[in-house]
Amino acid sequence: MIMSGEELSSQGRSSAFVVSARQRKWQKISKTAGESTLLLIASFVAIIVFFIFFFVTRDAVPYFQIRGFKEFFTSTNWYPADDPPGFGALAIIYGSLMVTVGSALIAIPMGITAAICLSDVIPFSVRQYVKPVIEMLAAIPSVAFGFFALVILAPLLQNFGGTILMWTWWVIVSPFLLLAIIVASELLSAKVSDEKKRKRLHTFLSVVLGIIALGLLFFVGNKLQRIEILTGTNALNVSIILSFMALPTIVSVSEDALQAVGRDLREGSYALGATRAETIVKTILPAASSGILAAVILGIMRALGETMVVWMASGNSSHIPSPWFNYLESVRTLTATIAGDMGEADQVTGSARFHVLFAMGLLLLVISFICNFISERIIVRQRKVLSGQ
Amino acid sequence: MNLGTRKLFDRAFTALGFGSIAIMGMMLIIVLAPIVSKGVSAIVFRSTVEHRKMLYSEFHRGNRVSLEKEIAASDAARRPVYEMLSEFEAELGLMDEDKQQEYKAKLDQVRTAIKALLGPLPGESEPALTRFKYGQNRWEKAEEKLKELVYEKQWDYSNPDIAAKEYFVSRATAFEGTSLVRLFPYVEKNIDKMLLPEWTFYWGFITDSSVDSHIFGGIWPEIQGTFFLALGAMLFAFPLGVIAAIYFTEYAREGFITSLLRSANSTLAGVPSIVFGLFGLAFFINTLKVSESKSVLAGSLTLAIMILPTIIRAAEEAILSVPKTYREASLGLGSTKWNTIVTVILPAALPGILTGGVISLGRAAGETAPIIFTAAVSVGSAIGLADVFSSPTPALSWNIYNLASEHEAAAEIRHVQYGMVFALISIVLMLNLSAIVLRARISKKLKG
Repeated sequence: MIMSGEELSSQGRSSAFVVSARQRKWQKISKTAGESTLLLIASFVAIIVFFIFFFVTRDAVPYFQIRGFKEFFTSTNWYPADDPPGFGALAIIYGSLMVTVGSALIAIPMGITAAICLSDVIPFSVRQYVKPVIEMLAAIPSVAFGFFALVILAPLLQNFGGTILMWTWWVIVSPFLLLAIIVASELLSAKVSDEKKRKRLHTFLSVVLGIIALGLLFFVGNKLQRIEILTGTNALNVSIILSFMALPTIVSVSEDALQAVGRDLREGSYALGATRAETIVKTILPAASSGILAAVILGIMRALGETMVVWMASGNSSHIPSPWFNYLESVRTLTATIAGDMGEADQVTGSARFHVLFAMGLLLLVISFICNFISERIIVRQRKVLSGQ
Repeated sequence: MNLGTRKLFDRAFTALGFGSIAIMGMMLIIVLAPIVSKGVSAIVFRSTVEHRKMLYSEFHRGNRVSLEKEIAASDAARRPVYEMLSEFEAELGLMDEDKQQEYKAKLDQVRTAIKALLGPLPGESEPALTRFKYGQNRWEKAEEKLKELVYEKQWDYSNPDIAAKEYFVSRATAFEGTSLVRLFPYVEKNIDKMLLPEWTFYWGFITDSSVDSHIFGGIWPEIQGTFFLALGAMLFAFPLGVIAAIYFTEYAREGFITSLLRSANSTLAGVPSIVFGLFGLAFFINTLKVSESKSVLAGSLTLAIMILPTIIRAAEEAILSVPKTYREASLGLGSTKWNTIVTVILPAALPGILTGGVISLGRAAGETAPIIFTAAVSVGSAIGLADVFSSPTPALSWNIYNLASEHEAAAEIRHVQYGMVFALISIVLMLNLSAIVLRARISKKLKG
């Protein structure tokens, strides 16, 4: 007689060799009950997500009933305490967008290069020490970053802003310019067939391009140094700190994506004679691109949803900077507005002033839901493609 | 492209990667170094006799006899200052009206500066606020105040194109030709005799409650509140998370419901923290009414749903990493599925599950936005365990924000803020470090 594991085990416990029908029924019932209890507890997460959407929406709807949609999305007048009040959130939405884009501009290139370096360049023994560093960066509480931005970075920017900008420009741009000069002179002189002439042209081009590049460095550097930053609590400050916070997410998720590409693609590329850089840029990055995109989306989400840093260090002034890309002005974001205005609005629960904050929360919630959904789809699809299904 | 250029590109690419990793390491150091160094100085610093006076009368700590000796010595050094002041006041009475007016304002500035440095002048009535009862507690602060006494800060508006620049003028020049002119060199010379600085290890910064909204005293109420909130969140989230992970890994069949639940989990992980705060306010407080207003319970529940996805993911990973042979051996011995899970798989996965739990604990301790509307108050004393259902609590994360941005004397108590950030970061990083170590040991053990 062939018995299933289930039956065997129940026999093992009970002394009788034969299981009665009643016992069997009882076992079945308890098994079903147990599994459904587990399912119930597991679906708790889904219930919570539903509740979050429901309760935030429930408190956001009254605002739109009272004031309609138009003002919220088109006006920049944010005077919730005045009479008559103004609830124009356009400048606030723009502020959120601005710091998110700013932090993305810093975090994405750095995060992706760091992820590439982690997965393909540095040896395993070093990696063991680098990963904890990234985890620690991720673990530092946001309020500590906010404190750093407010108490240390903001005064620095305010007092030595121009000099800091100039040095950042020098440090970041000069290696790239150097590389560009070498490559450009190499490429431009490659067509000359005579070896002697070619060498002479090469030297000449390097010198000329070098002088031009130095001039550019000095010119822009000088311009930057002359910039006076009027307030240290501005969009630039926040963008820098938010990029610190988005980096760990971007690095770890895109490293996973790069690892998922597998050895065979890499080895195939090396076998064709490609260098490591060529392998990475031409083979691995395209294969992992969708996973990296997902990482970028998740990283941006962290920056968009972050509260404490922007509340403490963005200056909280609700206006669109002029010109619109001026990162040296104070801004105000959705998250900071919710956090900052609730204290006063809470006393007048039920007014538009209270519900408008929930409308902002709903906006954040919807954006984060969409981004999450997209990144999840992307990751699932990439996994399928890479596993060859 | 020729081979040299390609090689160059390859090198440059490698350098770029190393550069970005180095920048990340530098970021960590740049953020942590000032916080750690200044945070330590909240506990180890040069305290003045005023600090010991404060400790004795507010916390009843210190040696009475030696303290009285110190007070007597410092009073002896301070007496000439007060004598010079009263001498000048007498002199002021003899001057003509214009000069009196001119000097009076300046004299008031000097008095205020001396009060800030040494505490209330003799003969004055006891100030109502504790912060005015004592002079400077910390030597480096005393040196700042001394500078304010000796030099007057003025602003240079001469160049309208740039922001005004500050410069300092010696106050002594304003009192040229009067008896008060001697006061400034005297104070500068004898300041250490008046305040008697000595190196102190002030462990009370961790264990004391605060006096006069953190002007003096320590941060115990905040630390305790943080522990209550984080542990409370774990109490709810940990069992739920582990059971959900068991379901996902052992029982769930691939299908619509499972993929829906998984999506819900990643959605929950991506919800901005401030939205959790809004939800906690709308659901736990306004709808369920778990407490009348903010409470530790409401805050813990809010934090619990925030860390739930992290716990589930970590537990899932830990359960999946248990070798298949364990399971097969247990089933082969005739154990039931549930029995296998409880007696074989969970014990083997426990370190991994705990690692996830520890990391989530750190996250719950450090998070601010969810507790703003649900649990945190700015000032308050430590609450008892029985009060967690009804009363809000101060917490490290919230009070760092509050002291740095909203406190009326934020610039005066930077050391307390640094101390708090240091305390919070060390709690969180300690938890994370132990998780990292734990995980390294597990991976060694599983490899054999």
